[in-house]
Amino acid sequence: MSHDTIVIGAGLAGLTAALRLADEGQRVLVVARGVGATHLAPPTIDVLGFADERVESPAEALSGFSAAHPGHPYGRLSPEVVSAGIEWFKARLPALGYQGGLEENLLLPTAVGAAKPSAVVPETMNGGDLRAGGRFVFVGLRLKDFYPAYLAENLTQSGQVEARAIDLDPPPADDGGTLGLARRFEQSSFRDWVARELSRRVGQNERVGFPAVLGRQSAGDVWRELESRLERPVFEVATLPPSVPGIRLFEAMASALRQAGGRLLIGQPVIGAEAGNSRVEGVIVQEAARPKTYRARSFVLASGGLAAGGIRVDSYGKVSEAVFDLPLAGLPEANGRPPFRPTYLDEQPLDRVGVAVDDALRPTDLEGAPRFENLHAAGAALAGAVPWREASGNGLSLATGYAAAGSILEAAR
Amino acid sequence: MASLETEVLVIGGGSTGAGVVRDAAMRGFKAVLVERRDLADGTTGRYHGLLHSGGRYAVKDPLAAEECVAENAILRRIAADCIEDTGGLFVSTPWDDPAFGDTFLEGCRATGVPVEEIPVAEALRREPRLHRGISRAFAVPDAAMDPWKLVWGCARSAQEHGAEIRLYHRVVALERDGQRVTGAVLRNELTGKEVRIHAQVVVNAAGAWAGQIAELAGGRVNVLPGKGIMIAMNHRLVNTVVNRCKPPADGDIIVPIRTVSVIGTTDSKVADPDDLEVTQSEIDEMLDEGDRLVPGFREARALRVWAGARPLFSADEVADTREVSRSHALIDHRERDGVEGLVTITGGKASTFRLMAEVAVDAACAQLGVDRPCQTHVEPLPDSEDGRFYTLGARLRAHEPRPKPDELICECELITRERLEHAMERRRTANLDDIRRTLRLGMGPCQGGFCIFRATGILHAVQRLDSREANESLLAFLQERWKGVHPVLYGDQVRQARLDDWIFQGLLGVQHLST
Repeated sequence: MSHDTIVIGAGLAGLTAALRLADEGQRVLVVARGVGATHLAPPTIDVLGFADERVESPAEALSGFSAAHPGHPYGRLSPEVVSAGIEWFKARLPALGYQGGLEENLLLPTAVGAAKPSAVVPETMNGGDLRAGGRFVFVGLRLKDFYPAYLAENLTQSGQVEARAIDLDPPPADDGGTLGLARRFEQSSFRDWVARELSRRVGQNERVGFPAVLGRQSAGDVWRELESRLERPVFEVATLPPSVPGIRLFEAMASALRQAGGRLLIGQPVIGAEAGNSRVEGVIVQEAARPKTYRARSFVLASGGLAAGGIRVDSYGKVSEAVFDLPLAGLPEANGRPPFRPTYLDEQPLDRVGVAVDDALRPTDLEGAPRFENLHAAGAALAGAVPWREASGNGLSLATGYAAAGSILEAAR
Repeated sequence: MASLETEVLVIGGGSTGAGVVRDAAMRGFKAVLVERRDLADGTTGRYHGLLHSGGRYAVKDPLAAEECVAENAILRRIAADCIEDTGGLFVSTPWDDPAFGDTFLEGCRATGVPVEEIPVAEALRREPRLHRGISRAFAVPDAAMDPWKLVWGCARSAQEHGAEIRLYHRVVALERDGQRVTGAVLRNELTGKEVRIHAQVVVNAAGAWAGQIAELAGGRVNVLPGKGIMIAMNHRLVNTVVNRCKPPADGDIIVPIRTVSVIGTTDSKVADPDDLEVTQSEIDEMLDEGDRLVPGFREARALRVWAGARPLFSADEVADTREVSRSHALIDHRERDGVEGLVTITGGKASTFRLMAEVAVDAACAQLGVDRPCQTHVEPLPDSEDGRFYTLGARLRAHEPRPKPDELICECELITRERLEHAMERRRTANLDDIRRTLRLGMGPCQGGFCIFRATGILHAVQRLDSREANESLLAFLQERWKGVHPVLYGDQVRQARLDDWIFQGLLGVQHLST
């Protein structure tokens, strides 16, 4: 069986590219070593949260930001593409009820009570927007990954809102972790218990924050039911991995992709490629029995950066891209292991390393020419961004995944 | 200024100081130990964790070897819970002269180190990751020793015998009355308050810092801090202590300790024991030497690197610190400098800390004109009474009867919420690094990626901190962790570090917290 496009990597960037291509009738294969950052990170689409200062409107900030950071992936994208990607995403996954847009960032509380700007968020998180001001209450469920008193005190200290904590002590269960709690929230008896306990204890005009465990398959229904029973805004706060709302996003996208005729091979790493001088012919996948080559007309490299292993550093300090051994940009100049800076919160020498791309998001060589005419790259594999500090991770993945698919479609026409 | 009286004042909270205060308290003296930071925060907490059989010194330093032989046997009796009985091997790799094995055997026999040459096949069966080309192998009773457990065990035992332990108390002056040291002025590093402690005798057990302390009283102690670097790998690459069978050099020992294995070490003279820079070439040397013992060492995950300052004592200037004896040095400043009431014990090594404490307290007794026998070789440390050695599976065994995975706060080191809360209450500290040393919190593969956020939330509740203090603890821990992580960041540990960055800076946004 042959494919039109093979996407390497099953994170948000890869799934976005794959889904858009499949929607356009392409035969798409996604092949990945494992699931991506969806299972680790919140599913908020953070487009740009921090430049020199906190960003209030990504739409207004993006062009200036790209100009100030040459080589940043946003510099390869027109504002229209970023915006079109977001609108496509919101319309394509209606069950997740994503809210917001590029015009203004929401401010969501993190699990330590810092404020994080986010452009587009699932409906279950929307109520946490701190810009609303007023009173917030955070509900602890004896979850080891959520400390509402600490969160609330930091929020109150910041002066933006008044926050407090309520600790509920749920009946014991085998799995009291995030996934276990998410399953329990899908049982009506557990929701009854939570609503009963809380209705006596929440005050007038309080917004009610839970750790992000309000169901896995039917989170929208769970959230709506809690809002209506508590008669106040209810919202989820993202906390440590695994990310239950991120898993919802993965499952929604994977399911949409399969319905559109796409195919997913997860758990089988791409270990190399077959390529000529100017075209990639196929990728070599480590299947259970033996390596197997999959061929296609186009390829999308969405295998992530250092965190995912798409880019590697060996013990001699050599940095390389794992599948195609592509040239890398953003490397520190010194030889040997990268001289990391001694202050943890400083920007680090490898932070911006990745593949450089042209306007069609094709990885380029050091002279700026595309390395292969049919290979595109998206997501954290791209050079130039520090997404965890910029609060730009999912925004970049979505926009570049969407744009890479656009380039492939254009080339096919 | 507040003041208090004691008979014996011990300066330094490493293994030696903890041993001295225990010994003094067991002999019935009123004793106080002061330490500028936390217990085992200096050299003791930065060593590889090897309980020497003596094999390492059998050829070059017979006196040190003999001391190790005796102390190894004693510590196995009194500190079993601090010791994992891993056994040790000396192996001749293809880079080592097999004939040195004969010299080694001879040295062991002369110094009493129990040794047995075993077939290479047997050594490879015990340690399958060892280089297949080794030509000779010798078994000795090396073991792994947990420095924090050891020092805390001594401190708790000393407290049970009436001693007082004052942490975060820095000596700012030694007080003298004529030619006699009468006590010290200490500054509480957490509150800034000063306190005066009058003592009949002061024991300077400050290790590599002993020279700095002696100077305060006009004494002179020629301690050469010898820097040794160590790298912790995230696996037990070996389950036996493995030494190269050759004259001692850099990177020739791998010690399996708790959940990791530690390769060490180097030896270079430094001016200041507080300024121990680790260089890239030292790291590369460790990794290359590791690869000679265990092929593939370079591909394994390195968790962190650190350096400790050995207190090497020498009466004269020495160019190569490895040439200095690893036996200890006792200085009675009456004879040496005409200063009464001050005894310095330095040099030596963790394996012989008990003996060092014994001779120091003997000297203190002599100064006080009393004769009370040492008992530390007889009475076991707390938790070691049953004489059972620690085993790697101990925490899992304790956890398994009633497993509650949601209560495991640090999955790497199997630390439950209950245990963490208990340690926080007992230590009464807001410093997560103190908790790390007590429980090994955050010392596993993720280097605190998951547990430190949790521990901060728990610390906030247990210690009733305000959120700013909790934020400070969190940020200070992250910085302290990064110090040891960043010089050895490569391979899969880069993925781990980047995930941690995502958690702390992306998901939580700790850089935006106010302190």
